[in-house]
Amino acid sequence: MEVSYTSIFIIVINREGDGIMPKPGYMIGEVYKNLLKKRATILYPFKEKELVHLPEGFRGKLVFHRDKCIGCQMCFRVCPAQAIKIIEDEKGKRPVFFMYRCIYCASCAEYCPVKAIEVSNVFENIAFDKETLVVK
Amino acid sequence: MSFYIPVGPQHPVHPEPLLMKFKVEGEQVVGVEINVSYTHRGIEKGLEYREYLKGIFLAERICGICNAAHTVCYTQNIEQLLGKEIPPRAKYLRLIVEELSRIHSHLLWLGLAAHQIGFETLFMYIWRDREKVLDLLETITGNRVVTSYNTIGGVRRDITPQIEQKIRKALDYLEERTKYYKKVIMEEPTILARTQNVGILKPSEAVELFAVGPVLRASGIKHDVRADDPYIAHDEVPFNVATYDTCDVYARILVRVDEVLECIEMIRYSLDHLPSGSYRLKIPVIIKPPPGESVSRVEAPRGELLHYVKSDGSPRPYRYKVRTPTLANIPATARMLTSRGDYSVYIADIPIIFGSIDPCLCCTGRVMFVDIEKDKSWVWTYNELLKYSLERFEKHA
Amino acid sequence: MLEVLYKILEMLLFPGFVFIGILSLLYEWIDRKFYAKIQNRVGPLYAGPHGILQPLADFIKLLSKEDIIPEGADKPLFTLAPILFFTVNLLLTLLLPICGAAGVISFTGDLIFLAALLTIISILVYMAGVSSSNRFAVIGAERAILQLIGYEIPFMLSIISVALTSNSLTIKDIVESQSGIWYIFGPHLLTFIIFIIAAQAELERVPFDIPEAEQEIVAGWLVEFSGKKLALFRIGRDIETLLMCGLGATLFLGGPLGPTIPGLEMVFYALYFTLKSIVILLILSTLRALFARIRIDQMLTFSWRYLIPLSLLSLLIVRVMA
Repeated sequence: MEVSYTSIFIIVINREGDGIMPKPGYMIGEVYKNLLKKRATILYPFKEKELVHLPEGFRGKLVFHRDKCIGCQMCFRVCPAQAIKIIEDEKGKRPVFFMYRCIYCASCAEYCPVKAIEVSNVFENIAFDKETLVVK
Repeated sequence: MSFYIPVGPQHPVHPEPLLMKFKVEGEQVVGVEINVSYTHRGIEKGLEYREYLKGIFLAERICGICNAAHTVCYTQNIEQLLGKEIPPRAKYLRLIVEELSRIHSHLLWLGLAAHQIGFETLFMYIWRDREKVLDLLETITGNRVVTSYNTIGGVRRDITPQIEQKIRKALDYLEERTKYYKKVIMEEPTILARTQNVGILKPSEAVELFAVGPVLRASGIKHDVRADDPYIAHDEVPFNVATYDTCDVYARILVRVDEVLECIEMIRYSLDHLPSGSYRLKIPVIIKPPPGESVSRVEAPRGELLHYVKSDGSPRPYRYKVRTPTLANIPATARMLTSRGDYSVYIADIPIIFGSIDPCLCCTGRVMFVDIEKDKSWVWTYNELLKYSLERFEKHA
Repeated sequence: MLEVLYKILEMLLFPGFVFIGILSLLYEWIDRKFYAKIQNRVGPLYAGPHGILQPLADFIKLLSKEDIIPEGADKPLFTLAPILFFTVNLLLTLLLPICGAAGVISFTGDLIFLAALLTIISILVYMAGVSSSNRFAVIGAERAILQLIGYEIPFMLSIISVALTSNSLTIKDIVESQSGIWYIFGPHLLTFIIFIIAAQAELERVPFDIPEAEQEIVAGWLVEFSGKKLALFRIGRDIETLLMCGLGATLFLGGPLGPTIPGLEMVFYALYFTLKSIVILLILSTLRALFARIRIDQMLTFSWRYLIPLSLLSLLIVRVMA
């Protein structure tokens, strides 16, 4: 006696059951497509450092142009984290920025009337001593 | 024969610390006690020491993910105090960033919910697609998560036509992927088995316990601050409020996925109808608003967010109060986590029920004392707290 | 005398303990890399070329950590559980036919011996969980026994269907009767599917990793083990993976049989065995990526309502087609 077991198969799998049985493993197509796609991780920092893409307006470390500063102390008044100290040098008053207190909000760059403060896109602001993180 | 299981303060399922003590019998949960005061940071006090313009950056850091909602609420509050109206282009730009951050928050939550039921693959795929939203936010505002886009009187930057092109392309990709994830959630049997009929909150209980946000909308009640009390440009941009009727975790997942699709439509509409003009009012750096009070409400990704300010004419606020949506959802969670009658809760359901309210506990901790026997509740002032802590230190030193 | 020496060398080196150890670490690497590739990420990367030494590095790191025994724990059982877990699994791999139709140990009825010792492994899990004085461990151990009640019967029935077709309960005869056509192309496709599901439940992997659910009960019955005991549990789990994949390859894919060159038979047989069990490992890894974790009561309902009738049906099919 020969039973066609493929037909038994189809009856069992198409059963409208409760919970577990209907269409298990819905994501199988997606899973096998992703085996062929390239990986989504960037192997930063050992191998693929240049693939990290930063857009134009990124708020990173500050760059200060001393020749444009007029000593109005506006940046000192706007900084929310008190990361700016005003000192006196031979050309007049000027700010010193402590990047370890900075919250990278770029308010100082926005309120500076002569655009002496520029926001770069350096984001790796770590150091072993505090001196490296002071922008003069 | 029951015993107590502590879930927290450190536990693989919690993104932030809280303590839930469960009373279990075998695999069934019989009672729960929740303690949320582990992340109290004193932000309301901190806001009293900062001028209004600097306070934006502190208010933004109340919650990392809802930071757009907190800044919209704060700046709206101060603008109401000053009696100023922001230009229309600023309203639309604020709406774009707020809705983008809502998409980000919901996609992040969806990945976490998949992780909490053990579905790692869906978690990885959703978080890969969330990177597109973060790249968009970085292009528009300069930073991925804490955006600092709003300021008192408008927004800080404008969007150029190239940024608009990038937004549209990313929105097309996100729409296609979200529709695929919605189909996976509705068809995959293991997800259905874990989320249907789990964590039921009936509509009467939801109203009685003051639930907010998607938790309320998943119980069939159509309430959304953007529709009932429109702020920024929400009265001009049309959208549908997503509700579902089944009152369980499955409905909450679907409400949030539908909200993502609605946000995509809203951003497209506002990009098409963006008014021209200036995007910022000129406001002096030191603001001295007239004495008075103001309240503003905003629909954060987690629910209704409330800010209250009282000023006495000086450059710093006299009192600032924040009521976050997760705090309002905690009593509803305690009700969802106890078994009563026919409805039983298992230990295996705890992570997904607690995760379905989208907990953001960094916003939550406020200290309040409740005495059930004498039926009164009170809040301590700073001097009483100081006296109590000094006495305790003398006793236990 | 020379025979005894030869047998001891076979047991220790090839295809015995050292070979099984290396192969099980390789299988863990394949599993992790495949699972990571499905999720669009990289798996282990830096320990050795392409991260192939990562499981070995994990094992050595665990051996060097501090071994803490909780105060209220039942010391004899607590210390004995990992040792027995590792030993029983290692012993059972000696029954696998790697270098020929018979394994290093082969006697009449060794299929039943293997199935019985697999049940003892689950009881060891229960022992490990209950002897740590921790509520999460007790819950995990109780879930492990409930899961055993679920998958045990389909597993046994699928093994028995294969034994019925080959008219013998000895692994050597099952392998030799597949020299014509492998059982998976014969009447045993349904049995193969049931065996895969039951093997996933035995190995406690998603969707059946309920006793060890990370999000609910923080590592379940394993929670109090650390240092050398945890290392023994982890490598015992890897060896159990190799055992299940090897068993699947033996019962359904023809074991080590295939075209060989006379004289170099041992090498070729080992190669075919490895390749076939890697195929089964890849199927198990895909299952791991496709599903969410189900609850214990849902697992028992699924098993008793769907798996057991299906396995009885497969028994009927085999009987009818023979």
